[in-house]
Amino acid sequence: MSEHDKIRELLALAAADALTSAEEKQVAEHVRSCIACSNELGAWRPIASELRRLPTPQPSSGLVQATLARAAAKHTEQAEHDWNRRVMIVVVVFAWLLTIASWPVFQVVSGHFGSLLEPQFSHTQFSHTWISFAAFTALGWLAGGVAAVMLAVRQRGERRLA
Amino acid sequence: MAVDADVVRLRRGDLNALSGLIARYQNRLYRYLLRIVRQPAEAEDLFQQTWLRVVEKIRSFDASRNFDAWLFTLARNLAIDHLRRTRPQSLDEPLANSWHSETVADRIPCKDHTPLDHALAAERRTEISEAMAGLPMMYREVLTLRFEDEMKIEEIAQVTAVPVPTVKSRLRRSLEQLRYALEARYPGGTWQ
Repeated sequence: MSEHDKIRELLALAAADALTSAEEKQVAEHVRSCIACSNELGAWRPIASELRRLPTPQPSSGLVQATLARAAAKHTEQAEHDWNRRVMIVVVVFAWLLTIASWPVFQVVSGHFGSLLEPQFSHTQFSHTWISFAAFTALGWLAGGVAAVMLAVRQRGERRLA
Repeated sequence: MAVDADVVRLRRGDLNALSGLIARYQNRLYRYLLRIVRQPAEAEDLFQQTWLRVVEKIRSFDASRNFDAWLFTLARNLAIDHLRRTRPQSLDEPLANSWHSETVADRIPCKDHTPLDHALAAERRTEISEAMAGLPMMYREVLTLRFEDEMKIEEIAQVTAVPVPTVKSRLRRSLEQLRYALEARYPGGTWQ
C-alpha cells in the first residue's frame, strides 16, 4: 500500500480527531502536498462537524423521578436482603454453638453423662446416645427451617401488598 | 483519577447521591441507549434498569476506574441483552451494499461553507440522524460515543470491551457507511 493510500485511510479518523499525534502530523504533511487528499479531508469534516452538533434527544419529564423511585425501592430491598443475610449468619452460628453446648446437657438429662467417663462405656451405648442427640438436633433444625420459610413467605406477601 | 463525590457517597449507601448522578448523566445516557435501541420507550426502560444496576453494583465499582466508562458499560450490556432477547437480528444487521470508500469519496464533492450551508444545518442534522439510525448497532454506538459523548478512543475501547485498533477500525467504517448512506440519499452530495 502506497503512502498516499495509507494516508487516505486515515482521513476519516483525522476528521474524527481520533489519530495519534504522530499520525496527525503525517496526515497534515501529506495533505499540504496532495490536493486529492486535501479535498477528501474537506469532505469528511462537515460530516464530523454535523455529528458533533446533532440535537440531544430528551427523555420524558417523569423519567428521572420514576427512576429515583425504583432505585429507592431497590435500595431498600437490597438493604433488607443484606440485613436478612447477616441475621441468618448469626442465627446459624448461634444454632451450631447451641447444638454443641447442648451435648453435655443432653447427656445429663439422659443420664449417660457419668457413663461417658466410665472405661466400660460401650460403642453401642455411644451410638444410641448419638443417634438420639442427632434426631433431637434435626428436629430443632427442621422447626427452625419451617419457621424461616413461613417468615419469608409472609414477608413476600407483605411486600406484594405494599 | 479523582473519584466523583456523588459516586463515593453512593458507594457508602447514601441514596441521595443518586439524584445528582442521574441529573448529570441523564441526557448522555438516554441518548446513548436511544442510539442503540432506537425506540424511546425501550431506551427509557433501559435507562431505569441501568440505574437500578448501578445501585446494585456500586459497591463492586473500582474507584480507580472511570465512572463514565463503567456506567456506559452497564448500559451497553443491558441494551445488548435486551436486543438479543427482542430483536436478535438487530445485533447482526447486514451491511449496506458493498462499496468502496474511494468511489464514494470521489462522488461527494467538497464545498466551502456558505450562508446557505448554515441555513440548511438543521435539515442536514436530521438527515445525518436518520442516516445514522440506519447503520448497524456497533457503528451507531461508536459514532455516538465519539461525536456526541466526546469520549476518547481509549474510553470507547473500555465501554465496548474491544482493543483500541478495533475501535478505530469501527469508527472509520461507521463514518464511511454514514457517508455512503448520505450520498445514497442525495446523489451528488447535495446533502452538504
